[in-house]
Amino acid sequence: MPPTLVTVAVGVLIGVALLGPAFDWRSLALVALAAALPNLDAAVSLLVPGVTNALLHSAFVPAAAAVALYYDTERRESSWLRGRYGWYGVRVAWVAVAAYAVAGIGLDLFNIDSAAALYPLSDRYYSITGKLVLSTQEGVVQTYVEWGDGWLEVASPGTTETHHVETWLNPSAGADGDVARRLRFVDSGWQLVVVIIAAAAAPAKRLLDGGGD
Amino acid sequence: MPSTVVHAAVACCLAVGLLGEFYDRRALVFVLAVVLAPELDTFAGWFLDGAHRALLHNLVFTAVAVPVLLWDTTRESSWLRERFGARGVRLVWVGLFVHTFAHMLFDWSHLDGINLFYPITDRFFNLDGEAFFSTADGFTQTFIEVTTDPETGQQSVDAGQGGTTGNTHVSSPVDPSPDPEPQNVDRRAPIAVQGWQLYLIALGAFTLVAKKLQSPLPSKRDDD
Repeated sequence: MPPTLVTVAVGVLIGVALLGPAFDWRSLALVALAAALPNLDAAVSLLVPGVTNALLHSAFVPAAAAVALYYDTERRESSWLRGRYGWYGVRVAWVAVAAYAVAGIGLDLFNIDSAAALYPLSDRYYSITGKLVLSTQEGVVQTYVEWGDGWLEVASPGTTETHHVETWLNPSAGADGDVARRLRFVDSGWQLVVVIIAAAAAPAKRLLDGGGD
Repeated sequence: MPSTVVHAAVACCLAVGLLGEFYDRRALVFVLAVVLAPELDTFAGWFLDGAHRALLHNLVFTAVAVPVLLWDTTRESSWLRERFGARGVRLVWVGLFVHTFAHMLFDWSHLDGINLFYPITDRFFNLDGEAFFSTADGFTQTFIEVTTDPETGQQSVDAGQGGTTGNTHVSSPVDPSPDPEPQNVDRRAPIAVQGWQLYLIALGAFTLVAKKLQSPLPSKRDDD
């Protein structure tokens, strides 16, 4: 998985963008937490081998949460969530689900680190990487998805059986022993930039909304 | 540049949140215009060698604009506020934020980087490296590396310095190479390269759509 710090930063960006009037430090912290939540499957992988980037990186988790949220807030006579936390609670819950799906799962999916987004229906890891270039000589060049056998195909490093996602909690497929553990903060320049932007955007939003000037 | 589309997408994502109550289509168009404007120095590259990524790609503009804007907007009779109101003030601040963070910073980490302190000094900088904590090596970061020459004992700092406008050409579809182009030069305009650039485009689109779908704040509802 990309470093959790980067995932949290993207979660913060989503929170700043979408919380609107519900924006405060508490709601922002909740949304950032929701973005980091999928990475907990690395801890579960110590007990159940091979579920890193699969168990909680499944699109079915946020889908189920969204359905439950929709049912509670739109279909029921009196919504439990709205009754308890009001408009604020409903907004924060939706943004948290979005952060879980878009930052928590999406960032892994568009990365060589890959996510098994259809787990448990399929235990294959997917990785959407490639390029999209307009060229005056070659026209549109696109390598993110390819047509194969009538299906759209994306790159895959393997399945939960064959591919081990390395994390600092669980660095190698077998017994870890003396393996060096590495907790990554940022892997590259753009990831550092995303972290800086998130760290600047949250106080900027507060300053601008506060009517300071 | 990471493509203009990537810059625009990040700008959208930031604008949705930072514009707050002033968010509407016109404000969004203003922010997009601001974030794309620096690419105009690509055209300057036809006349002025190495102008792209230098002339309008630096942090000097931000460093000058912030105090000026702060001075004007905090004084009693602000020119900007009197002329354009609170909306104008907000738009200019968000524009400056987006210019600096969504454009300058991203280009800093891409290809040859940007000419950070142009025109004060003429030197391209490229932000590249990684940071991690490992049980073997402890905390390590390679963005800014300080090394000491074992023989002379002289310290040198590597913060990703590159060339100057004299010897650095960041290619673009408008100006693919520093030399005069041959007839059939391949002008390539990358929309997205690697997963993360496509991801940021998707993120920008997602925030715009989500913002549109959001229910407005109920003004008089019996909550809170």
